Amino acid sequence: MIKFYEHRNIFFTISICLILLGFLAAFINGIQLDIQFAGGSIIKYSYSSPINAEQAEKIVEQAVGKTTNCQLQSNTIKNEKMLIVSLASHEALSSQEQEAVTAALTHAYPAAHLKLSESLTVEPFIGQHFFTNGILAIALSFMLILFYVGFRFRNIGGLSAGTTAIIALFHDMLMVTAVFIVFKIPLNDSFIAAVLTIIGFSINDTIVIYDRIRENQRLLGRKVSAAELVDLSINQSMMRSINTNLAVFMSIAVVYVFAQIYDMASIRSFALPMMFGTISGCYSTICIAGPLWTMWQNHKNKTQIA
Amino acid sequence: MNTKRVFFITVLLTAALFCIALFGVKIGSYEIKGADQMRYGIDIRGGVEATYAPKDLGRAPTENELEAARTIIETRMDAKNITDRDVTIDKNNGKILVRFPWKSDEANFDAQKAVSELGETARLTFRDPQGNIILGGSDITKSYARLNSNGNDPVVVLELSDQGAEKFAEATGRLIGQTINIYMDETLISWPTVGTQITNGNAQIEHLGSLEAASSLANKINSGSLPFSLVANNCNIISPTLGSGALDVMVMAGKLAFILVCLFMLVYYRLPGLVACIALTLQVTGQLLALSVPQFTLTLPGIAGLILSVGMGVDANVIVSERIKEELKSGKTLMRAIDTGFEKAFSSVFDGNITVIIVAVILMILGSGSMLSFGYTLLCGVIMNFVAGVTASRLMIRSLANFKSLRRPQFFGAGRAVQ
Repeated sequence: MIKFYEHRNIFFTISICLILLGFLAAFINGIQLDIQFAGGSIIKYSYSSPINAEQAEKIVEQAVGKTTNCQLQSNTIKNEKMLIVSLASHEALSSQEQEAVTAALTHAYPAAHLKLSESLTVEPFIGQHFFTNGILAIALSFMLILFYVGFRFRNIGGLSAGTTAIIALFHDMLMVTAVFIVFKIPLNDSFIAAVLTIIGFSINDTIVIYDRIRENQRLLGRKVSAAELVDLSINQSMMRSINTNLAVFMSIAVVYVFAQIYDMASIRSFALPMMFGTISGCYSTICIAGPLWTMWQNHKNKTQIA
Repeated sequence: MNTKRVFFITVLLTAALFCIALFGVKIGSYEIKGADQMRYGIDIRGGVEATYAPKDLGRAPTENELEAARTIIETRMDAKNITDRDVTIDKNNGKILVRFPWKSDEANFDAQKAVSELGETARLTFRDPQGNIILGGSDITKSYARLNSNGNDPVVVLELSDQGAEKFAEATGRLIGQTINIYMDETLISWPTVGTQITNGNAQIEHLGSLEAASSLANKINSGSLPFSLVANNCNIISPTLGSGALDVMVMAGKLAFILVCLFMLVYYRLPGLVACIALTLQVTGQLLALSVPQFTLTLPGIAGLILSVGMGVDANVIVSERIKEELKSGKTLMRAIDTGFEKAFSSVFDGNITVIIVAVILMILGSGSMLSFGYTLLCGVIMNFVAGVTASRLMIRSLANFKSLRRPQFFGAGRAVQ
């Protein structure tokens, strides 16, 4: 049997270090918001004959009079070359301006067979609205889950179970966010979806363990200490935690690999944080939520005796 | 009843439903569309998704103005032959959401231009048969539909401005018995015949067939006096080639993930693992039907949600299988172990699924665009998990345990020690 409670400080240290790493990365890389949240424009064209990005930048700037960034990207598997034109938040293009950009580029590079592949424009105030909605969604989920867990586990101390579960969830959310920041993935609605899914799924793990604690408490009564009770429960349900997370990890990893090979940015930026989130969810349940709950119970008993 | 049969009935039922979900079925006028006829979001089939708002209007647009604006957009889409579209009004935020596909055979379709054109101010004109303009949009103060005084003929009432009334009196005077053609931009929307000269600025267009046709025409006429043009402040264009490739990739990823998860379950859990595979098939079938029957839009994140719920779906089977193993090791008989396993596992499966339902519903309500589909597939996955992973799995395992040859603990992963 693995003694999770005894080794709690190791686990806490690992988690705190990783979270600090995330903050450090945020400090160095900054937190990037995707166009979806920050506003701005991005237009992607496929093309066939060589294009000079800097020159393209000047052409676009001349056409619409706005600061532009042009990049070239190629994907060997799809045998495709892309010209990506992006404009910052306060420079979002109207549809008329977009037409002007297309016209200017087509005129400048007649041999390149420029074809509009994708375009996204979001006015900053709309992006703000999406972002607020996303944050609201996360906050609301936290509250509802806290409420539900607290209600279901009132027998083993609803408040302690709910609070420690939420700490584990915060842990997972920070980990998922850290992945976005470390890998420089701009935050968009994939971020919100990834965070929500991970907390919905990670709480699942925590619930299974609390459920086991509840059951063992009924079986063993007050004969065993909180630490023994928790360690026993975690060990009993560990295979389940690992196997379920393995199944989820496998399915999301397949999605990630395919998205990576075929260069599907929107899916990749969603699958990668989810993969880490799955591991974090499993870890936070076993190594964080259980030991924390034990500490809470021990503290409560001590104060009761005194 | 012979419980041995239950397993085969469940398997057959799952297989039948799976085929229906995959290939579709048609009974009389009722049709369930197959997996290849899903309603895909624009990120898969290519298309345009734009949110229009009034340009430089210092106030919130009224509901009537939004209705008129929607009419303009729809009329223009009719003219462009875009029928498979989605135009909705967001009254609270004063916006119009437009979504339409960009078909793969329309290689020369200029999506950017289409977005601009849909938002332009409408030019409404009344013209005589020679094409001379009699009235413009600003000459009409108001137009609405109602039944005529006899109450049997739907009509459109036009109230003209003073200037408009003057012009109209002159024109109707010379055009008695001829038609006046009403155009929006260059699309002919109505061609009433002049009955008498109208001098007081109150005209009626009669014989419109239905009240709906009348109010549609009234809306179109109103749109001519709309005091603003529309601007797309949120617009996403995806070319059809980009989308269709992505679909193939995701479908491939889905199949592979499904096979991997099934193999894992089979190798690790043996008999309960086999049951888990069948339950998983049933779960995915339910999800596919939940998409195809109401033709709910499926996006790329939606497919990711489907794949994710394959991984999550086996959780119920994992918990139960682990529990059965444990109960067997503690010396229970197989039947008792199965029953206790399911009973003890139910509360964790239930709690776990409820929390996923909470986040899925929140995603559906607050998530934007393509994430709606993710929330939906996740939600359906969890609900189907109760049916497949819990109920159907229990029926199947109990039924299989009735076969003497299968009643060995090692088939349940519990080693040889007990029975």
